[in-house]
Amino acid sequence: MNTINLAKADYIKEMLNRNMREDSRALMDFRDISIDTGILKNAEGSAQVDLGNTRVLCGVKLQPEETMKDTPDQGNLVVSAELLPLASKDYESGPPSPDAIELARVVDRGIRAGQCVDLKDLFIEDGKAWTIFVDIYILNFDGNLFDASYMAAMAALSSAWVPKYENDAAVMEERIRKLKVNNIVTPTTFAKIGQKIVLDPDANEEAAMAARLTIAVDKDFIRAMQKGLSGGFTQKEIQDMIDMAFEKHAMLKDYISAAPKE
Amino acid sequence: MNTILIPGDSIETEAARNRNHYFVEDNKPYCTSMCVSSNSKIVPLEGLWYPNEGEPVVGVVKEVKNSIVEVDLSHFLRAIIIKSPRDRISFRIGDIIEASVKQVEDKKTIILIFPRLLKYGMLLQVKAVKIPRIIGKNNTMVGQISSFTKSNIIIGYNGLIYIKGGDMALAVSAILKVAAEAHRPGLTESVKKLLERELEVTEK
Amino acid sequence: MANMLNKPELLRGDGKRLDGRDLDELRPLSIKANVLKNAAGSAYAEWGNNKVLAAVYGPKEVVPRHLLNPERAVIKCRYAMAPFSSLSDHGRSGPNRRAIEISKVTKEVFDNVVLLDEFPETAIELSIEILQSDGGTRAAGITTAAVALANAGIPMKDLVYSVSAGKIKDKIILDLNMIEDNYSDADMPVAVSPRTGNMLLLQMDGELTRQEFNLGLETILEAGKQISKIQRQALIDVYE
Repeated sequence: MNTINLAKADYIKEMLNRNMREDSRALMDFRDISIDTGILKNAEGSAQVDLGNTRVLCGVKLQPEETMKDTPDQGNLVVSAELLPLASKDYESGPPSPDAIELARVVDRGIRAGQCVDLKDLFIEDGKAWTIFVDIYILNFDGNLFDASYMAAMAALSSAWVPKYENDAAVMEERIRKLKVNNIVTPTTFAKIGQKIVLDPDANEEAAMAARLTIAVDKDFIRAMQKGLSGGFTQKEIQDMIDMAFEKHAMLKDYISAAPKE
Repeated sequence: MNTILIPGDSIETEAARNRNHYFVEDNKPYCTSMCVSSNSKIVPLEGLWYPNEGEPVVGVVKEVKNSIVEVDLSHFLRAIIIKSPRDRISFRIGDIIEASVKQVEDKKTIILIFPRLLKYGMLLQVKAVKIPRIIGKNNTMVGQISSFTKSNIIIGYNGLIYIKGGDMALAVSAILKVAAEAHRPGLTESVKKLLERELEVTEK
Repeated sequence: MANMLNKPELLRGDGKRLDGRDLDELRPLSIKANVLKNAAGSAYAEWGNNKVLAAVYGPKEVVPRHLLNPERAVIKCRYAMAPFSSLSDHGRSGPNRRAIEISKVTKEVFDNVVLLDEFPETAIELSIEILQSDGGTRAAGITTAAVALANAGIPMKDLVYSVSAGKIKDKIILDLNMIEDNYSDADMPVAVSPRTGNMLLLQMDGELTRQEFNLGLETILEAGKQISKIQRQALIDVYE
């Protein structure tokens, strides 16, 4: 952990006792969100999300692969995340860290549980189906990678195209239809700092937090949850956070579906 | 005329006062970092801080050992305080401190003296190369920000700034403005305008 | 230099290249410096269809410790292609053998110009991420990284640039794109220190006569003036 961030913990707690945050946000406010899609032309889908100073790029690639034995009628989804060394002085080059793997798995779970992508729609012909590779690239770290990554993945998938397939091969230059996205799952991540809970923690707040909870929802259901760190939440706190996750859903969904194309 | 120079640009010998921002090859001096040349003076726009004796720093306690305290100055040199039995401060990891540079040992370690604990304020980090401008001639710039915002501002030459009390948010935005526009002339006046305007808005 | 049987014609009837360029014409290049918040310095370039992000951290503590040099700083360089950077395939994430070689030769370029003995026992970390690739990414990476290093205030003796020259039949071409890279008769990426004229990167494969090599190098040095100008403007624009 960065000692400079750590040194801010006292100050952040002290401010939160007066219900104040360093960037003068309300406790349940997101930072500014901006989403661009279709920014990389070699990727079938792409999106960049700026959540305050956190910046995440997501690329979606489709590739024809052999179908799995137990699911011969559908394609596959593979989500990966990289905490690039250029995003923070604390990130090193090398194999994916446990943090990166957790991040990718939590995003993967929400997309799957929300049935956002219809895997059966990826079927090509007997023995062949598209595999969707969702690669999450962290470009600048300032906290709350979960929400930024979820939004980037959802926006990139929503903007993705399916290439043509003929004579047993993909024709990547020709994209023939939009990828079918049936559902949008939106994330909300909370941090518990002292006795207070804040939405969308930045890096300084994350250095001060004792516990973290990510809740991904659609209009009707909770689709994925992940609690992090050693601190605990009360039942009441969790119920309140779930309410907040549903409350933020429509707004976040609008951001994702209305993302401007470059 | 202000001209912005990039690494490798040739410069006038007399203009190159700051040893850390030029090198000499075949008797000709060249820039090594982004600089602005104005009135035959070369002022660095980017670059790292090379500590000198007596300069104040702000840092965070990183490690407490039996005989030394290691301090994170967010700098490439290691910084330590040598403990003495007469010390009245007990250091904890994460404590913010101010101190003064005693010397740099072996080009590798900064020895700090006169440490003082700083509590409940906030830390702001800017590029160290902007610090002289934030301080201003005879403390004019920081003095102005401090008197408008009623904040206590302690500036480390390493780029860390401690702010406590008063309108801290305004102090931060004024300091960040100076850092962003350090190369512009008339900065004292434009920062004063920012402070006056913002304070007017809050009072209304 | 794939010797494919169905090698495409790379020059049009009017003598221009497939993308309409003259033989000695650069692809459009734009560079923006200071694009990432956390990094000490950064730059983003669009060069033809290449999109490249470079960032610098440090000088900082050396990890792992065995890389530490008591006399000078070490440059740690990472060049990597994003898994979504190319049209044809989803790449494996993380550096492969090709990327490790490019990282090494890129590091050696900057070892020449960075004043390493100012910072003994430290590391300067340089990351080059290829977000979209269309040939010539190592040259684009070096050109972008030089801007990121200057933006970070890392002291350097010069602002290096890099570009490649190549050959189609008996014609020398500048700044090869992906398809030219794949099917041309020679490819030669070069990095230059413009102040001294020293070549800091030189790689080549294919076939070139001595005269063709000379012409290729001349073409690179001529184009370098334009590239240097764009790098300089990117650095100056930070203060506008």
